[in-house]
Amino acid sequence: MSLLEIKDLHAGFEGTEIVKGVSLTINAGEVHAIMGPNGSGKSTLSKVLAGHPSYVVSKGSITYNGQDLLEMDAEERALAGVFLGFQYPVEIPGVNNAEFLRMAYNAKLVKQGQDEVDPLDFDEILDEKMKMVGMDKKYKDRFLNEGFSGGEKKKNEILQMAVLDPKLTILDETDSGLDIDALKVVAQGVNKLTNENNALIMITHYQRLLNYIEPQFVHVFSGGKIVKSGGKELAHELEAQGYDWVTAPAK
Amino acid sequence: MSGSAVEKTESQETAVLALHKKFLGGEQAKAPLRSINEAGIKRFELLKFPHKKHEMYTFVNTHELAGTSFELAGEGPVDTAWVQSRIYPACKHSVAVFVNGAFQANLSDLSGLGDSFKIQCLSDAVVDDEIKQTLIDSLEEENDVFAALNSAFMHHGVLIDIPAKATFDVPVQLLYVSTGTSSGAVVSHPRLVVRLGEMAELKVLPVYAGTRGNYCVNAVNDFIIKDGAGVTCTQVQKDDAESWHVSKTRVQVHRDGRLFARNASSGNRLTRHHYEIHLKEEGAELLLSGATVLVHQEQVHNFIRIHHEAPHCTSEQLFKNVINDKGRSSVDGTVIVNKGAQLTNSNQLINNLMLSDEAHSDNKPNLMIFADDVKCTHGTTVGQIDEDQLFYLKTRGLSEALAKSLLTTSFVNSLIQTIPFPDVVADLNEILLKKLEAKHA
Repeated sequence: MSLLEIKDLHAGFEGTEIVKGVSLTINAGEVHAIMGPNGSGKSTLSKVLAGHPSYVVSKGSITYNGQDLLEMDAEERALAGVFLGFQYPVEIPGVNNAEFLRMAYNAKLVKQGQDEVDPLDFDEILDEKMKMVGMDKKYKDRFLNEGFSGGEKKKNEILQMAVLDPKLTILDETDSGLDIDALKVVAQGVNKLTNENNALIMITHYQRLLNYIEPQFVHVFSGGKIVKSGGKELAHELEAQGYDWVTAPAK
Repeated sequence: MSGSAVEKTESQETAVLALHKKFLGGEQAKAPLRSINEAGIKRFELLKFPHKKHEMYTFVNTHELAGTSFELAGEGPVDTAWVQSRIYPACKHSVAVFVNGAFQANLSDLSGLGDSFKIQCLSDAVVDDEIKQTLIDSLEEENDVFAALNSAFMHHGVLIDIPAKATFDVPVQLLYVSTGTSSGAVVSHPRLVVRLGEMAELKVLPVYAGTRGNYCVNAVNDFIIKDGAGVTCTQVQKDDAESWHVSKTRVQVHRDGRLFARNASSGNRLTRHHYEIHLKEEGAELLLSGATVLVHQEQVHNFIRIHHEAPHCTSEQLFKNVINDKGRSSVDGTVIVNKGAQLTNSNQLINNLMLSDEAHSDNKPNLMIFADDVKCTHGTTVGQIDEDQLFYLKTRGLSEALAKSLLTTSFVNSLIQTIPFPDVVADLNEILLKKLEAKHA
């Protein structure tokens, strides 16, 4: 059984159809990259997968681990192992970062029928995960993403990924706005977290990220559809030639 | 207005005059304060209870309060254990306890403060010209009828007099206990004057609590902050839900003086804080913030007038209100920048989070600027829970109920966490944030 199976997905926002018939199958152990120009519907797909209530699916199906994903609420999807790394992580002043991470961690433990961890025990877990993603411990006691630099926000997303250990991760433009040093750190963190039991979808506008996290599959998005799929060499062609040569025939 | 409504107000005022007569003839009144008591009641007769269109009470309906017949509250008795449990651990040896406005030496412990902390009854302190003048001057210009009433009935207020250069390691808790009654409503008129000599520093934590409902606290606080002196005043209003609380805080800040005032209110039948702050000389600085969480029909109102009277003064205001059910709040704040008060820096922001359709909030941030080289901002926001924040938390596996509770809590928590006293932060977790948990869990 595939981990994720998207069939003829049509979805939109406020009455406008943005994703216009996407089919994609992803198995455990795979890394997929979705590339494409701005406005091609990549981020909409990520929002639909995570269960954003403002995005409406008009047609098609998504099966995750044998379950109908579209029937599940955002929190149920998260508890079932779906993780979205946001393009623009939200700032929430007043919510302590470490406390938030512990709440999320405990929500998952409770779902699995295990006991919650107390703050002291979680602190040890968190220290280890922060080390893994190269994040300074001072961010534990900060308010969630508030005043974080772009790079720290993205690292904090990867930290959440590390804490929650998802089965299916979607990283939406995780590389945008990062300098090369921050990108390397983030990529190293992601590489440590991927294995044969989970899958990763990277949504990106640039090929640069794929130098550090190597995908087996590359899909080109244009006009709300996948217009071309291939191996990692497709990313290099896109980098060299731009998107026009793949997107033009689709129009 | 109908004839009967006018008559009713008049009879309420007559009742206050009768109560005052009884007070002056009784044992509670103190001879040295008599001239102030008399001036106070005259001011009351002139001002009268506010009607709906009164500029200072546009958003506050005091009809029920003015229409309630009050007796003057006595001095207890009060359960010692009840009082002890409300003393902050850090203030064990720096706490002054007041019962219905009267200082209780036997319940207080000021041993941790040393000799430079001086507290005395206003009836004794009034021989000091500056104190007497402060009490009289403020009455002559008093436009708040409840503050005038406080002066009319003043008999057991205190002066905290801090000599120049004195500083203290610990904050001073001022625990105001109202005892309430099971029969008729009672009123107390706590009065506090705080005077800081040059370069002195003081941290005070006024806390208002009630053993049972059916009482009104009508408090007036005067702060005189001399050159280079600084006061941190963090006030916690956690009165019984069945009570009323009106207060006026008058402040004079001199050259390079500082007042960092924070107030957190849990609300009740009616709470109204009135701030009148004068930044009198260059370099004076003010921070004023307010946090509240209202449920059921609780009300908290803030009325603020900040006068920038000299150049290079700073005022920062931030208010955060969370309003659920039929709660009501208002912030009516005006910053007045006098002619000549150049290079004023003033910011005012009022944020409201509305959790129900019947929650109500009135906000009037206002600037009156008579100088031409100043930097002033003011603004207010009224909103519901942010859908993007809610989605973000849910994508991390938090239930909708938990995510909502976290977001409403965080809204005020971002302000509460700036309070530099852990005991107060813990207290506010209990009295404010718990209200939000109960709603969503």
